[in-house]
Amino acid sequence: MVAAADAPVTPSQVQAELARATGQELAYTTVMTTLARLHDKGALDRTNAGRAFAYGLAAEPAELSAALTARQMQRLLDAQDDRAAALTRFVAALSPEDEAVLTSLLQDHPAPGDPGAAARPSPPPAQPSEEAKPR
Amino acid sequence: MTGMGLLLAGVPFLAAVPFLAATVLTASSGRLARALPPPTAVRLLTLVALTTALGCGYVLAVTAVWALGQLPALATIGHWSAPVLSHSELLPPAIGAALGVLVLGLLGASAGRALRHLTQLHEAQLACRQLGPGVDGLIVINSAEPDAYTLSGLTSRIIVTTAMLKALPPAERRALLAHEASHRRHRHHAYNQLSDIAAAANPLLRPTARAVRRAVERWADEDAATQLGDRPTTARAIARAGLARDAARGRHQSPDPRETVTTAVTHDVPDRTRALLAPPPRRRPLATTFVLLLAATSALGATAAGHAVEQQFDHAQAGYPRQSLGR
Repeated sequence: MVAAADAPVTPSQVQAELARATGQELAYTTVMTTLARLHDKGALDRTNAGRAFAYGLAAEPAELSAALTARQMQRLLDAQDDRAAALTRFVAALSPEDEAVLTSLLQDHPAPGDPGAAARPSPPPAQPSEEAKPR
Repeated sequence: MTGMGLLLAGVPFLAAVPFLAATVLTASSGRLARALPPPTAVRLLTLVALTTALGCGYVLAVTAVWALGQLPALATIGHWSAPVLSHSELLPPAIGAALGVLVLGLLGASAGRALRHLTQLHEAQLACRQLGPGVDGLIVINSAEPDAYTLSGLTSRIIVTTAMLKALPPAERRALLAHEASHRRHRHHAYNQLSDIAAAANPLLRPTARAVRRAVERWADEDAATQLGDRPTTARAIARAGLARDAARGRHQSPDPRETVTTAVTHDVPDRTRALLAPPPRRRPLATTFVLLLAATSALGATAAGHAVEQQFDHAQAGYPRQSLGR
């Protein structure tokens, strides 16, 4: 949730987003405590935003080791043909036909209501068609 | 002598059994992987690939030894009678030598492949350690390239880029994470690696190894769909992630030719999406039995062929001139 946001988010924003995604309300304090814990662990950075803290992804130590790790992973990624089994990728590369097929599949099966569609920049083919929205 | 003649007639037949199994697999792996529920397909096809690879290798090795045993020099060393072994003229020693070279080549290829996988596991393990534990093994990387994968060594991490998270609505993000969590939980990479080693030991099994790779992704897809209780959302997550990654790659660089070539033929992503839009896979007792029988046949065929050749050597040793031993 925090990682997907463009700017640091406050606990109330996270709470609202979670409610929209999962359909269940979490207590504000639960969200706040979770974010504060993640901050303590060094996973998140926080800045003052009015009365609350705004949380963003921690960039510093992760970035440094990530640079190191990135080189190692790059080698595994480079070997990503039929051989590199240590790395299982979510989606493989597409051929132009695949692209067309997927675009039409997404159009034929749009997400109901498409929660969070307004909040995020989505690729053009991902736009759900108007008539598919539930009344 | 009639018993022996029968035995000799049987050897080539028995020896051919694992190869027949491998050929049947070459032709049917893709269809089996699509028909069977993915977890069954992954486990059974890996099992039958390993059994058949071992069976074929064993039969080749045994046949090579049999043919080479006709060489008088080797017969003297091993105390058997070369003429008794060369009872049939099916296999001149030259063929034995050729088979021997082939066996060593295949053995070398599979050992090399196994070594490569071990190296990669080690590298992945190092990377996992440097990445730290993450949150439940999840590492989010700040990157404009939409990508998501599971990195597996002894432990594993799920790596997702910020761009990928931004490309997906929340429900689809959960599908992605459930998919990768399934890879971690079931150690899917091991099936990929084992079937790949089997394919290195026997190139006839390459389609089977590819089928295992695809079935592994389907397994994780089905797990994600079950966890979310929502097949269409999982299908959309795959389609959207594929398009997002593709769009970004198109913008940044020309596509990697290797990857494009391998996937252009298989259309994995659309196939997976379609499979999730279809009803969940049913159990297929017939197909399951077929694969198990195939595995059993190649194991039994290889063992029987080995046994028959062993008997040949027993005969030949019995026929070894006594006086040279008695002295």
